[in-house]
Amino acid sequence: MAPALGRATERRVVISGMGAVCAAGLGVDRLWTAARDGVSQIRPLKTRRPYDGRIKIAGQVPDFDPAEHIDAGTLPFCDPFTQFSVVAADEAMAQAGFGRKDISGPGTAVIIGTGIGGMETIEDGIYRYYVDHIRPETLSVPKLIPSAAPTTLGMRFSCNGPTFAIGSACSSASQALGIGMQMIRSGMVEKAIVGGAEACVINATIRAWEGLRVLTPNLCRPFSQGRNGMSLGEGAAIFILETAQSAKARGHTPLCELAGYGTTSDAKDPVRPDLEGASQSIALALQDAGREAKHIGYINAHGTATHANDITESEAILRIFGDYGREVPVSSTKPIHGHALGASGGLELAIAIEALRTQIAPPTINFLETDARCPINATANVAQKHKIDAAMSNSFAFGGINAVLIISHAD
Amino acid sequence: MTDNAQLIQEIKEVIASEGMVDISKITPDATIESLDLKSVDIVMILTALEEKFNVYIPMDGSLQEAKDVKSLIEALADQIQKERGKQ
Repeated sequence: MAPALGRATERRVVISGMGAVCAAGLGVDRLWTAARDGVSQIRPLKTRRPYDGRIKIAGQVPDFDPAEHIDAGTLPFCDPFTQFSVVAADEAMAQAGFGRKDISGPGTAVIIGTGIGGMETIEDGIYRYYVDHIRPETLSVPKLIPSAAPTTLGMRFSCNGPTFAIGSACSSASQALGIGMQMIRSGMVEKAIVGGAEACVINATIRAWEGLRVLTPNLCRPFSQGRNGMSLGEGAAIFILETAQSAKARGHTPLCELAGYGTTSDAKDPVRPDLEGASQSIALALQDAGREAKHIGYINAHGTATHANDITESEAILRIFGDYGREVPVSSTKPIHGHALGASGGLELAIAIEALRTQIAPPTINFLETDARCPINATANVAQKHKIDAAMSNSFAFGGINAVLIISHAD
Repeated sequence: MTDNAQLIQEIKEVIASEGMVDISKITPDATIESLDLKSVDIVMILTALEEKFNVYIPMDGSLQEAKDVKSLIEALADQIQKERGKQ
């Protein structure tokens, strides 16, 4: 594919490595295998304290022992969302071919999205104070702050560049990717460690989500008739960004190009999605990538399986893609890994990257029958072999913040 | 009053209190717009029904598509009956 118009003078950004932690376990391979083969990782909920909620399923990271991955000096500062970030970042750095100190210094940014930050630490602190009448644990504050994930990674890899958390609910990870890419394009930094992390599958948080009526008590079935919501998930997905030139100079073959980023805010409703904002973010991402809709061979949808999101997202795809919007394989992989909130855009981008690399569109599982108001090709239940030159990942958050990323083959 | 009629009356009362509407306006042919119920009001109503009847009511198509008060109440009553059946 020809280089995008108007981008000749810009620095092209590639993804050199990625890592993931999710309900499928540790590593992108497990996430991708589950997504491609359509094997749900939603299981009976496990909580440390007795749980009286009505939703009894979630996508939790199985058998995770942080002490196997994080040294005893660092671990006391790590809420689970930071622990997941560290494990995913180690995988991403290794795949990128970087050792601990190889991208140290002021030229590397660390930007991690999270919806909440250290929710388990927050909940534990509140429980200790109000129920047990003892003070929250000593390191609560540095553990719970959303910036704990990026600063912990910054310390691990000695990065002194711009370092902060992005909080835009379920589009947080995608925003982190987009902002990191723009920083490299602009010349502000040379490299960036970006992604998202979340660990919110705990008692009071699930009860709060229940109140919004967006959780399914049984099966998450995006774009399908009979859908009634999503399952919560958790985890992290981390990516290493650099310029195409720097990857080439060191002889590293990147996973893909991060080609486009579009973001908008609906500025309308706290929870209800909006066609205008969603479709405009898709259009902006295509424009940024210098590509047309027909170049996109796979869309990883936001696809929450709520009644409203899936209709709005289908309409947004059709508005921008026209008739091709009925053909292009679209899938929501949320029934596989759960909705990991601030990490979801990262987990879903990792799946989109593997879809691009293997030319396989993973399925939307639990699909019963097409909903006439979602007239897209939802890749029902079975993966599709498909020519994919570029792929798109959508994240549409509460608050109306939309973020869309486009990836393509790095040439 | 039959069980179902009793249930419908109780649902109406919850809609009135949580949606902050006059119960006399909650008639079968009233539209949801006429009650000025917004998405957040529906969430408040569902939460109150959950507390009252000890059931979880997911927001599926039958609730989303309800155009008038009659179909909304019927969808709610149906969900509550279904959930009760599981207990």
